[in-house]
Order: sequence, then structure tokens, then C-alpha cells
Amino acid sequence: MQEIKAIIADDEDQLRSYLKSRLSDVWSDLVICGEARNGQEALELIDEYRPHIAFLDIRMPGLSGMEVAKRIADSCWVVFITAYDQYAVEAFENEAVDYILKPVSRERLKKTTDRLKKQLTTSSEPPADLSKVVERILASLPNRETPDYLQWIRAQQGEEIRLVPVEEVLYFKASDKYTMVITKDGESLIRKPIKELANELDPNKFWRIHRGTIVNAVCITKMSRSITGRGVVRLKDHPETLTVSRSYIHIFRQM
Amino acid sequence: MDPKFAEINRRHVLKAFSYTALFNIAIAIFLTFLEFGGGFMETFIITQCIGMSICACILLVHFLFKSAKFFIQMAAIFIAMIIGSVLGTLLGTIASGIGTSIFFQKYSLLQMIILGIVFGSIISYFIVSRETISATKTLIQEERIKRLISEKKAVESNLRFLQAQIEPHFLFNTLSNIVSLLETDLEKGKYMLEDLIHYLRTSLSKTRSDTTTIGQEMEMIRSYMNIFKVRMGNRLQYQVDVPDTIENIPFPPMLIQPLVENAIKHGLEPKIEGGKVFISGKENEEILRLEIADTGVGLYEESDPGTGLSNIRERLQSIYGDKGRLILEDNRPCGLKAIIEVPHARDKSDHR
Repeated sequence: MQEIKAIIADDEDQLRSYLKSRLSDVWSDLVICGEARNGQEALELIDEYRPHIAFLDIRMPGLSGMEVAKRIADSCWVVFITAYDQYAVEAFENEAVDYILKPVSRERLKKTTDRLKKQLTTSSEPPADLSKVVERILASLPNRETPDYLQWIRAQQGEEIRLVPVEEVLYFKASDKYTMVITKDGESLIRKPIKELANELDPNKFWRIHRGTIVNAVCITKMSRSITGRGVVRLKDHPETLTVSRSYIHIFRQM
Repeated sequence: MDPKFAEINRRHVLKAFSYTALFNIAIAIFLTFLEFGGGFMETFIITQCIGMSICACILLVHFLFKSAKFFIQMAAIFIAMIIGSVLGTLLGTIASGIGTSIFFQKYSLLQMIILGIVFGSIISYFIVSRETISATKTLIQEERIKRLISEKKAVESNLRFLQAQIEPHFLFNTLSNIVSLLETDLEKGKYMLEDLIHYLRTSLSKTRSDTTTIGQEMEMIRSYMNIFKVRMGNRLQYQVDVPDTIENIPFPPMLIQPLVENAIKHGLEPKIEGGKVFISGKENEEILRLEIADTGVGLYEESDPGTGLSNIRERLQSIYGDKGRLILEDNRPCGLKAIIEVPHARDKSDHR
């Protein structure tokens, strides 16, 4: 009979060697042909050795175990490893995807390997294509992806580059090719024209009230209108007032 | 001024009448002194009657014209004062036994009405001003409720924050390592278990105490870093550089630890080659400064700020006001630097 090969991918050395030794207890014929410390290495090993089975830790630097599974499609059987990922485990249960929990228990591992042995030796069933399933699982997980809007402003303060959370910004003011960022603590300049900034900020939270001004809506305390039709905005904890030009005054009408 | 009258309840009515009664006594005494009218008793009865009926009329207006326009309300009060004084005069002359016709031989109706309007205005103003006062009281009450709610929110976020400290993922991964080490390196496994126990014990006990010291906090962080050192191997280097002089300074628990956790979780763990974490503390006359710098992947402008950082900001704000700050900077050459600055009186630390 042809020998069965597997790779193990986990970023923690100790856990890789532990899984390896447990696997040898329950499946002495299994050949571990490679060990990967991250997702990229796992992909390379799979490409190089064409193993029958890949044990993939979910959380790894670079590519996660799920992303690896998505890319290798049906080239081998995948068993996910996780210490604790409540949502992923639920999804694996629902989708009948193989997984083992760390610390790995002998009973659980035996069950998993018995099933794999059966699939590999007795049936000619090809490995399931996990790419669709994994995509579905990833989409169902609580949103891990990065938010669509700008969250931090990199502002020069003396020698340092400070990261200011956008919610702390009172307003942005155009200054030639640059933009002035005004917070409770002071002002700083960023190398981004206000036009570009306007597209990156959440429009529900940051309102453009003038060609050269974007204001943080939660900081507005009052808007009053002058006889000329322009508006004047007052800000929380800030003495300066801002002008609302006539073309932007409609924002305040809906309030 | 709000043109709407405030809602009047039974307590308001009682209060208005009792103040009017007192006021009437004062007027009666005053008029007796001026030798206006015929003796204290007579003046007393008449002023009470006039005052009470003016008060009743004004209250009636308050009740009937609750939501009318301001001018209508004012006019109604004016008319109420005239009606009240006429009615009161009639009632008073009957009650005091003088007889209406005799009374009006002595004083003209106009005189009574003018007096009624003057005193009525005072009574009316009194009712209104009482309302303003109670309205101010309600406002203060509302402010207090608001403050209590925000305090409650702070406590809740504290609690959530502290509960979130022992992350299951961290715990199970660490336990897996220990299980593995029991087979391969018993000694190392023992040390790791000791570090885990120390970390769990201190972080759990700190959920119950308000302050700890920088030294204790650093000891806990050392345990935490030791655990990660075993797990990540040479992907992690760390250095703690906190002078002995600041070790005994009291400090709120769980402000530094989440930043160290961030440095590992969001800075180094996602980075294939890993990196370093530097933890340092400095003091000057006014400020205590703690720095957690890592050489990890750093913060992208679109990175999710997470609840951890805003939680630290909220806690600093609630403990130190504007003097407690969390500053984030780009670390050189890469990664993130988090700085906590809190007010500090240096001489405190010298008295051990």
C-alpha cells in the first residue's frame, strides 16, 4: 500500500512537535513530510510534497489556516487546528469540516485519523473542495475585516508621528496641498489634500460644511444662520466657530 | 423665557395659597401701620379675602391657559387680578361685617383694583418664580442622573474590560504548550505553569482592587512575556526597563497589560519573523510615563481601533481627567509605540 503523507502547520514549535508525537501514537504509519511555521510555508510544502492530509492551525502569521485551505482547493484533506475560536468551531460543526482542538486529546485525534484512514484507504472519494465552504465560513464570522473608512490620522508632532483616532478630531481645514487637523490638544498638519480625505472619512460622522472644512459631527453643539444665508457652527470645548457655505447648508436642514 | 406655564400640581396650589396667606398678613400689618383702613382685624380679613381670590384666579388662569401664547397668558393674568380684587373686596366687606355700601363710601373700587394689581403681580411673580426654581432643581436632578449614568457606564466598561483579560485563546494555547512540555522538557513546563499561575492570580485579584503598584504590574507583565517567550521562541525578544524608583508608585491595574497584549497580538504575532517588545518607565517632576514599543506590523490608517484602546482612554479620563493620556506613535524603524502619561508627584515615591 502506498504510504500516506501529511504536513503540520502551526506557528508554535512546541505545539507542532506535540501534534506530531500524538499522531505517531494513533497512526504510526503516517509520514509527516513537512512542518510549516506559517501559512506561506504551508502552501509551499503542499506544493512540494503533495501530501494527502494537511493539519492547519487557524491563526498563523501571514496566511491563516483558512486562507491556505481556500487556496489549495481539493489537493488534500484538511484538518483545522484551533485552541479556541468559538465561531469557527460552530461553523466547522455545521459544515462537517474536520477540526481538532488544542491541547489535542488522544481520543479526539483517534476519531479524526480513523475517519481519514477510511477515506484514504477504502474509498476512492477525492478530498472535498473546501474553498467554497471556507469562503462561506469566513463570510459568516463576525466582521474581522478592516473597516472601510479611515480610523487613524498620522500627524507629525515635533519629531514623532502620532496616531490620532479620527473620533478625537474636531475638524479638518484645508491648507494648500496639506490639511490641518484640529483636536482638543492642538493642531497638526497632514500631507493629504482635503479632497482626498473627504473620500476616506465616514460621511455619516464627518460632514463637509465648506470647500475647505470637514467637521466631526458629534462635536457640533449649535448651528445658526447669518442674514447672508451662511451658517455658523459652534463646537464643543472649542472657542473657534466654523463657517458653513451655502452649498452645504442643506446637511443641517434634515435635522 | 418659555411661554408655556409649567405644569401645576396639588403641591403647587397649596404652596401658592400658603405663601399668599403669609403675604396677606404682611400687607395687613403694613396697612395698619399706615393707618389705612379701620383697625388690624378688619384690614386682615379684607386683605386675606382679596389676596386669596387673586391667588385663586391666577391659579385658575394657569390651569386654563396652560398652552396658550405668552401674550394671551399675560392678558388673562391681568384680567384675573382685576376680577380677583373685585371679588375679594366684595367678599371681604361681607366677611368683615362692614357692609359693601359703607366700604365703598370710604374707598373707591379703582383704588382696590390698583392695590389688587400691585399685590397680585407680586403674588403672581412669586408663583412663577417658584416654578422657575423648581424647574432649575429638576435640571440639576437631570444632570445628576446623567452623571450617574455615565459613571455606571464607566464601571460597566471597566468590568467588561477586566473580564476580557483572560482570553480563552491565550489560555488554551498556553495550556497546550504546558501539556507538550510535560513530555519533552519537564523543567521548562514547570516554569511555564508557574508563570501562568502567577499571571492568572494577579490578573484575577486585580479585578477586585482599584490600584496596584507599577512594580506589581510589571511582575505580572514579566510572567505574561515569559509565557509568550516559550510559545513564540526566537520570534519574540523583550526587555523591561523600569527603574526601581517608580516601582512603588500606585497605579491603576490593567492599563499597561492590554497594551503589551496588543503589541504581541496585533504587532508581532501576525509578523512572520516576529520582533521585539520594549517596556520602559520614566518619571519627571510632574509626569509618569510608561512606554510599550514593538517592532511589529504597526497600525494601518484603516486598522480597527478596537475597544481595548478606547477603553484605556476612557479609564484614564475617568481617573485623571485631561491629565491622563494615551498616545500612539509610529515606532522606529517599524511597529507601534504606545505611551501612557499620568500626573505624578515625584516626592511621593521618595517616602517609602
